[in-house]
Amino acid sequence: MLIYLRKRIVSSALPLVVVIVGVFALARMTGNPAALYLPLNATQQMRDDFTARNGLDQPLLVQMADYFGGVLRLDFGQSLRTGEDAAAMALRAFPATLQLAATTMVLAVLLALAVGCWAALKPNGVADRISSFVSMAAASIPDFWLAIVGIWVFAITLGWLPTSGVSGAGAWVLPIATLLLRPFGVLVQIVRGSMVSALSEPYIKLARSRGAGELRVVTHHALRNAAAPALTVAGDLTVGLVNGAVVVETIFGWPGIGKLMIDSILQRDFAVLQAAVLLTAVAIFALNILIDMGYALLDARVRPVTARA
Amino acid sequence: MTSSSRVLPQAAVLKWPALAAGALLLLSGCSVANSASGPAAAGGSLRVVLAQEPPTLEACESNLTSTGVVVRSNVTEPLIERNPTTGELEPLLATEWKATSATEWTFKLREGVKFQDGTPFNAEAAAFTINRAVNSKLGCNVEGYVFGDADLVVKAVDATTLTVTSPTPDPILPLRLSFLEIVPTTTSTTAKVREPIGTGPYKIEKWDAGQKITLSSWDGYWGKKPAYAKAEYQWRSESSVRAAMITSGEADVALGLGPDDNIGDLGVDYPNNETVALRLDGTKAPLNDIRVRQAVNYAIDKEGIVGSLYQGKHKVAAQLVPAGVVGHNPALEGWPFDLDKAKALVAEAKAAGVDTGAQISLVVRNAQFPKVTELAQVLQEQLSQAGLNVKLKMLETSQQLTYQTRPFAQDEGAAAVLVQHGNQAGDAAFTVDQYMLSTGAQSAFGTPEFDAMIKKADSASGDEREKDFEQIFDYQNNKVVQFANISHQTGILGKSKSVNYTPNSSSGDELRVSEMTPAS
Repeated sequence: MLIYLRKRIVSSALPLVVVIVGVFALARMTGNPAALYLPLNATQQMRDDFTARNGLDQPLLVQMADYFGGVLRLDFGQSLRTGEDAAAMALRAFPATLQLAATTMVLAVLLALAVGCWAALKPNGVADRISSFVSMAAASIPDFWLAIVGIWVFAITLGWLPTSGVSGAGAWVLPIATLLLRPFGVLVQIVRGSMVSALSEPYIKLARSRGAGELRVVTHHALRNAAAPALTVAGDLTVGLVNGAVVVETIFGWPGIGKLMIDSILQRDFAVLQAAVLLTAVAIFALNILIDMGYALLDARVRPVTARA
Repeated sequence: MTSSSRVLPQAAVLKWPALAAGALLLLSGCSVANSASGPAAAGGSLRVVLAQEPPTLEACESNLTSTGVVVRSNVTEPLIERNPTTGELEPLLATEWKATSATEWTFKLREGVKFQDGTPFNAEAAAFTINRAVNSKLGCNVEGYVFGDADLVVKAVDATTLTVTSPTPDPILPLRLSFLEIVPTTTSTTAKVREPIGTGPYKIEKWDAGQKITLSSWDGYWGKKPAYAKAEYQWRSESSVRAAMITSGEADVALGLGPDDNIGDLGVDYPNNETVALRLDGTKAPLNDIRVRQAVNYAIDKEGIVGSLYQGKHKVAAQLVPAGVVGHNPALEGWPFDLDKAKALVAEAKAAGVDTGAQISLVVRNAQFPKVTELAQVLQEQLSQAGLNVKLKMLETSQQLTYQTRPFAQDEGAAAVLVQHGNQAGDAAFTVDQYMLSTGAQSAFGTPEFDAMIKKADSASGDEREKDFEQIFDYQNNKVVQFANISHQTGILGKSKSVNYTPNSSSGDELRVSEMTPAS
């Protein structure tokens, strides 16, 4: 397993560098941010001073070399917008996104497993049709619309939940519900399909013929084999959330990395953008490794062989 | 063949996620990682929701709306303040001022005032502030916004007397200085300060970055103690969410609401001094022909736009500044909507050899103000009906600025740029110098005669100044026609019934908490 991990880390390093270089170069191709940070009637002298003060008058390769030198010293530069340390801003925002993404995905997986298994027990039965309808709807509803409607119904009309913010348990409900619906809808369909297939396998008939109860057949025999595809898709969906749930973070005032990245792009706040992308990329690589390990634990066929008899 | 990897017990398929979910929620304690948990503000706190988090509270950046709305006259104060209703300059940290020569102004400063760090306010601090903001290499936003390249000579004559000398006569120097928030001499001169110290009624208690700023009443304030002990600022990008926070009782005051935000009777209209206009590039065909620029003015149905898009809350504009700004010309009438006349003018220009089929880029900034997209589509349609070839370009701020400010984008033909101009200073010079001088930062073109008129108005004072600027707006409409004025906007401020406050034209830039009181 250690060898496997080492290989994955080494193979991940190159894409990581490509991502950083790409973001660095593309961000600077969008133009000089001076116009955004200076008054509209700023003189050319003021623009030149700003550009020189922030090192933007240097050739791109020199700027890039400076940046990589800084990364090696764990110095990611300062925000043009706030003057704060860029890494501190990214590190402050990332846990909030991680919390939201992790809680959402765990709940989505649990709910999808339950509903997907229930639907698969009797294909084309009432439960299957209801779950198909619900999951299709869930996967199709735009999160922006859902968030606004959620606020209108549960915060304004019923007064049960806060409109936005992060104070108290109630503040989690609408953001998670908004984020959860799509992964839930997608996963229900994956689990349902895998379970229908698994439940028709000979070993399930064998288990039933041996007198195993239906719950045990589903959870101990079929689900174990059906879980792997769901895990793969759940991993992809989690990566999407870790990248930043921009719409939800924006509407609900959630202080996460997605909104930070969008704001940094719009404000041409290069240092913060680069720090946020690097942090997110590292997290996604780590997450992918964890998903691979989870996949290996579920399915012996893809488990790395570390010892042979 | 065996494997050394341990196989998960089968029941773990469901157990692990369940345990993880429980652990996550327990560990997080239902609080977000970088948030300060705690009860919502109540009692002596005023809860304000803004459109965005201030990037900084640095005093010399307080002309930025998102910074000034928190810091100005709450944390820091200027020497002089402009009354947003009357337009008059009123004493604050300076008690009186007068011109002592053509280029020098002398200010008498208030005694007995202290900064929140206990140091005394005096002429030395005032001189330090001006030098730091205007004469340094700090790159303060207020420097370019108010003073341009002009360095000032500042002298602390004694503890309560300050002289300020400008390189050329400047009759509105006191007005310009009203944009400078005074900071103590202990403030860094080499770096901007995110959390300034001032002389205002509130001091910064805590800034939970990304979440909330809390100001608390300062006991050492020289003036009247404000009614609210604390002011808490949060921010939400979506105006509908800000409105919802008012209706649900989560906030007391919300800024930047739109006509569609369903705020009901909790929304208070106020003139925000913002004017919307199309700026026409008269250097490229077909807009280089005055008949085409006149046709643009005739083709826009201003009344229809104001009535249908903005529910009648805005006012049709005849010039770039609203009433109340020195130099506003009350006699000017907006161009009437006359599509036939617009078509005739375009036809006339075409017959005279103007390439009226050349493309005009209608440049609009995304989300600049409520319903800007709909307005852009209406404008495109109405100009097309007049026979012009208009291509709509909806751009993000950074891209749009390459069309709005010099040096302009050069890669295409004529541009009609939708501008939203706010004159919060109350003097037309802050509009005209930027938008109408042929070298103005946001002016597409001008004429030598027009430049001479503007220079003369800039150096005039009193009634002469007012008349000069009135003539300038008239001349722009009849002889230059760089602008097709559309509307003077009306701001909407959300206010809970528990707060007494009447917003004014500067509320969007300078929200004075000390002017608010709890409703009895």
